[in-house]
Amino acid sequence: MKRTLTVCPYCGTGCMLHLLSEGGRLIGVEPSSTHPISRGGLCIKGWNAFGFVHHPDRLTEPLVRKDGVLVPTGWQEALSMVVRGLQSVQARHGKDAIMFASSAKATNEENFLLMKLARRVFGTNNIDHCARLCHSSTVTGLAETFGSGAMTNSIDCIDRAKLIFVIGSNTTEQHPLIGSRIIRAVNKGAQLIVADNRRIRLSRHANLHLRHRNGSDVALLLAMMHVILAEGLEDREFIAARCENFEEFAAIARDWPPERAAAITGLGAEEVVAAARLYATSPAAMIFYSMGITQHSHGVDNVRAVAALAMLTGNIGRPGTGVNPLRGQNNVQGGCDMGVLPDLYSGYQKVSDPVVREKFRAAWGGGPLPETPGLPLTLAMNAASKGQIRAMFIMGENPIISDPDQSHAREALQSLELLVVQDIFLTETAQLADVVLPAACFAEKDGTFTNTERRIQLVQKGVEPPGEARADWQIICELARHAGSQVMNYEDTAQIMAEIASLTPAYGGVTHQRLAPYGLQWPCPSADHAGTPLLHTVQFSRGKGRFALIGYRQPAEMTDARFPYTLTTGRTYFHWHTGSMTRRTHLLHREEPKAFVEINPVDAAAIGVRNGGLVTVASRRGELTVAARVTGTVPEKVLFMPFHFMEGAANALTNNVLDPESHIPEFKVAAVSIRRGQ
Amino acid sequence: MNASATVSLYTPRAAEIVSVADLTPEERLFRLRLCDGSELGHQPGQFVQLSIPGFTEAPISIASSPSRKGCFELAIRRAGFLTGEMHLKKTGDLVGIRGPFGNPFNLAELFDRELLLISGGCGLAPLRSLIQYCGDFPGRFGRVRILYGARNPEFILFRDDLQQWIDSGSFSCSLTVDNVTSGSCYEGATGFVHNLISTLDINPADCSAVIVGPPLMYRAVIDQLHCKGLPDDRIFLSLERQMRCGVGKCGHCTIDHLYCCQDGPVFRLDQLAGVKGAI
Amino acid sequence: MKTIADLELVGFFRQLASDYDIRVPVLLPDGGRAFGSIDDGALALGGGALPTKPTAVFFPQDDTLFAQGSGGELLVPEHSRPLFIAGFTALDLRCLKFIDRFFADGFRDDVYFRTRESAVVATVSGYCGPDGALLPLANGDCDLEFIALRGQWLVRAYSNKGEAIALLIPGEASADAVAEVGALAAIVNPDEEVIKAASALLLVDAVPDSFWEEIAVNCIQCSGCNLVCPTCTCFGVQDWRYADRLERSRMWDSCQLDGFMREAGGHNPLGTDALRTRRRIHHKLAADMTKWGELGCFVCGRCDATCPTGIGIVAIARQMVAQYGSFQAG
Ligand SMILES: Cc1cc2nc3c(=O)[nH]c(=O)nc-3n(C[C@H](O)[C@H](O)[C@H](O)COP(=O)(O)OP(=O)(O)OC[C@H]3O[C@@H](n4cnc5c(N)ncnc54)[C@H](O)[C@@H]3O)c2cc1C
Ligand code: SF4
Ligand code: SF4
Ligand code: FES
Repeated sequence: MKRTLTVCPYCGTGCMLHLLSEGGRLIGVEPSSTHPISRGGLCIKGWNAFGFVHHPDRLTEPLVRKDGVLVPTGWQEALSMVVRGLQSVQARHGKDAIMFASSAKATNEENFLLMKLARRVFGTNNIDHCARLCHSSTVTGLAETFGSGAMTNSIDCIDRAKLIFVIGSNTTEQHPLIGSRIIRAVNKGAQLIVADNRRIRLSRHANLHLRHRNGSDVALLLAMMHVILAEGLEDREFIAARCENFEEFAAIARDWPPERAAAITGLGAEEVVAAARLYATSPAAMIFYSMGITQHSHGVDNVRAVAALAMLTGNIGRPGTGVNPLRGQNNVQGGCDMGVLPDLYSGYQKVSDPVVREKFRAAWGGGPLPETPGLPLTLAMNAASKGQIRAMFIMGENPIISDPDQSHAREALQSLELLVVQDIFLTETAQLADVVLPAACFAEKDGTFTNTERRIQLVQKGVEPPGEARADWQIICELARHAGSQVMNYEDTAQIMAEIASLTPAYGGVTHQRLAPYGLQWPCPSADHAGTPLLHTVQFSRGKGRFALIGYRQPAEMTDARFPYTLTTGRTYFHWHTGSMTRRTHLLHREEPKAFVEINPVDAAAIGVRNGGLVTVASRRGELTVAARVTGTVPEKVLFMPFHFMEGAANALTNNVLDPESHIPEFKVAAVSIRRGQ
Repeated sequence: MNASATVSLYTPRAAEIVSVADLTPEERLFRLRLCDGSELGHQPGQFVQLSIPGFTEAPISIASSPSRKGCFELAIRRAGFLTGEMHLKKTGDLVGIRGPFGNPFNLAELFDRELLLISGGCGLAPLRSLIQYCGDFPGRFGRVRILYGARNPEFILFRDDLQQWIDSGSFSCSLTVDNVTSGSCYEGATGFVHNLISTLDINPADCSAVIVGPPLMYRAVIDQLHCKGLPDDRIFLSLERQMRCGVGKCGHCTIDHLYCCQDGPVFRLDQLAGVKGAI
Repeated sequence: MKTIADLELVGFFRQLASDYDIRVPVLLPDGGRAFGSIDDGALALGGGALPTKPTAVFFPQDDTLFAQGSGGELLVPEHSRPLFIAGFTALDLRCLKFIDRFFADGFRDDVYFRTRESAVVATVSGYCGPDGALLPLANGDCDLEFIALRGQWLVRAYSNKGEAIALLIPGEASADAVAEVGALAAIVNPDEEVIKAASALLLVDAVPDSFWEEIAVNCIQCSGCNLVCPTCTCFGVQDWRYADRLERSRMWDSCQLDGFMREAGGHNPLGTDALRTRRRIHHKLAADMTKWGELGCFVCGRCDATCPTGIGIVAIARQMVAQYGSFQAG
């Protein structure tokens, strides 16, 4: 028997667990009994994290498309096909005709290497990852207001908060070990405000549950701030000492009496007043938000409003307070940190900054680095359908299911000259590829993941990958060598981390050795630095906290006579994103075996559908038929659909309209019609 | 791993499908024979764990009487993963069988009594085993009356059997359907099966009732039987739960302290007194 | 009775490794303790009960039932060497006994006994609890017992297999030490009384449905309470079809999950959080009592420690007794 301490591959909470194996085969997991977050527990996904690893569907050899079908081949042929293909496209259409999509499921080391491969070896800044689809609004919004787009506080702070304000996060389902921590805090006396129009589990513990209309967050938050200012509940000392641009901002907020917001949010004015008072009078109030805030065409404004609320009341820089975006994927924080973003190197260093470029150029053995920022993932899809992007290299993502407006995404990928997909399963996206490279999964490789509280933790190999599959970092290094580059030769992932540390100030003091057992929270600038559980204690990362100016904009697509229902999308507790792992995990699949749409009993009655019956949901982009889950969880006229299921893919319906600054799609609001399905 | 002939509690025996027949749009009757030539050795009311490689197992009642030798029959509704795959199987295909398992109808308690055999939907399958048995040993039982309710005429199971049972003179059969689909030439009774009971003449001192059907049916039927004065210790019912093992280990079939796969599926109603959630 | 010094233990277990597959509590890199092989970490025999399910050594989370080759031939997992397990507490031993009976009752579960039957089980007791606290003596029900007493371990054998192993230890315990062990006080766990009182309440049906609703609102369905429980035995079955073989395995299941009893037609006898929470507690405290004449919970505290929202069985029993009064069992 062998046990390996590693990090859960699912959500950004970053619980650690031991993988148990016997003769090279995983036989179970055990939670780490001493880990500061998991504390001897795990959620259902963590407890089943080993369940897909040896699945017969795992990719075990490279595949290439010959006469229209994918056939097995050797690594040499596959790799040279990839490199020749990418180079040929670049030769004919320019360096920026190719796009790299990295993965929030891959390690920091792998993300860093793919970033290096794109920029150094292939000379393009066209690299991005799924953070574009989840928290790009956070990165943009919080960088502008605070100077750092990450959770300001730590999960441990929940125990010290007196009030917790959860907005746009179904925490017990999406970050279960954070959600459960919130429940515990509430049972011990903390207050809880939940703003979410679904009746999520946390709402049953809340002192106040605000069921505001989808996409009306800015109005709600501005009105709360109006009340705070009108009643003199703001923290004037904090504002004067720590913030800037207050007066200009206050003028906007004063324009938003609760009555005005009421018309937009559908809440009573008194609910907004109550929420404002509860939040502003608490000695330590902690905000948690997630995709209910970010995935809007005004996602960045939502984030700015949340940040303003915390600054207005001085709820930042102290234990038990802060603005805490919960990052979805196990390593989406790390993906951003590693600079798999079109405009940033690792550590959020701008590609447009010549000093930064020179630093990377020197460290990477000379050679020019591209100067202009590349394309965000969401725009790259558009560019592909227009023929501006001709080849794509996708590592560990499944955009066919995860991107908005599925038929558009499929069309874009099909129009490419070359599509390379590196994955552990033959996902819906990989099925379209010209070359498929088999990768190792989390249990089969070493490296690090960075969780939502900026904690960099060690991932360790428990078993060998199946067949010919290799770790992503090894494949990337091979690709570089095939492209004739000698700048990517590493013995192991610790060596890659050494390079990351040397180039990334916030990771400056990080070595694999120092990460045992529970990692370090960045910023950790030097070898003697113990990491930073709490940001912005004395001053904000950017100096003064900035009150950004915002205005309310309604969602891009509002309901009308033809599409009278609002569709919002998300995930369920048992599945992970496109389901490639969880739908192959016995217990998780059993719990949630098929696609469904949540519908209020009144609406269900109106179209004559019973629980479990079929409903056809149609938007301007497509339609599909799924089973109805008739429930008061959703209010009338609102539908909720998870996006995990290929056979009932919510993203066939969603609206591919983007926030103008973060380019995040509006997954949370689309106008749809419903009828009884056949 | 080693090749080995060791038989475990969990390894199925191979069985060959001898014939397949459509019963309704959703149900098929499979006749099977164990490949080693042995008899299944079951009693009416028992079930087997049907196994298909890649599709795990499902509990299926044995629909034929042990008095019919050589083969046994399973009536299977297409309900999901395994049963869906089973419906693709053809004559000559092999499947796996474990069992028979479970508490059967206690024949000793039924001998010499008047029997009221009440079933709904798929419930006629396990009852058929008992009915065939009664037919094969007519002298052992009193008058046998069969009450059967189906969703609609299309879903009447064992149509030919029902006719034959009536023709044989050994049974009286009453049939009802919940509702009649338009265009059907069905001319029988409509309504729920428990409604058939009120008009029957029943001698409570001499009658035993057996009920097999969907969960909703039990309460209503039991109420009617109580009205007729039937005591709990002469009402037998077969309960279904999710079953993964059939042998009292997996825990999926428990009803408080009872294991449906071992203590059941056939229970005498008085054994369920005070057991929450049994019916 | 034999005696062995703390420092000699590792060598002793190594010596046994030629005949046995050794499982002993080891110190993990995260500072926790768990069963591992002798080289998995520093030996940590002392420190009290391990936080995860101790009976997993015989009933692992994922266990192959059988495999079948493409020709239909059965492949059963190779028998490895017999297991030698040291580190069950006396309480764990009672749990083991409980599931030994469960797996043997009626149909004998050969997959469980595949490893259980040949195993040697050694208990730890004496002054080896957390911070050197006293752990209760086993006094039988195992092959060997290691009793911690001031820097030495007294070794007592209860079976032939145990005797044979004890013979390998040269040191004889002094009469004083033996007397001291004889005089060790019995240990009373106050929570055991709470559990008994809760059981009595459930057996007379004195707990209303509203109570379960109140508790269940906290459950996030992590399944942890079941998965760390030494006496939980429920499992699901999974088939994996590879190109050259079929593998059927069983894996731990949890009655806290909606799919646990959901039937193909959608009917679910355990369709709400409240019903599931009731079932978890009722099964241990009432159903097991009725079926086996014994509680299925030995108050080891594991589910209370792992539950992310604090509704392990002891916490629930306390609340139940506080709300609905205490009945004395019997
Ligand atoms: C005593 C008894 C007697 C019965 N007799 C009959 C009978 O005579 N005729 C009849 O038609 N029915 C009978 N049934 C009902 C029958 O057992 C169910 O319809 C059957 O189990 C449905 O199985 P399924 O796999 O087709 O359905 P599903 O709903 O697909 O599956 C049922 C179970 O299999 C699991 N499962 C589903 N998909 C997978 C997967 N991909 N991998 C692993 N597990 C999966 C589910 O989680 C669930 O636990 C009986 C049931 C009982 C308890
Ligand atoms: S909470 Fe997140 S990190 Fe923790 S076990 Fe669950 S999925 Fe894994
Ligand atoms: S450990 Fe707690 S939260 Fe998890 S399933 Fe059990 S009762 Fe529910
Ligand atoms: S079916 Fe497994 S215990 Fe009854």
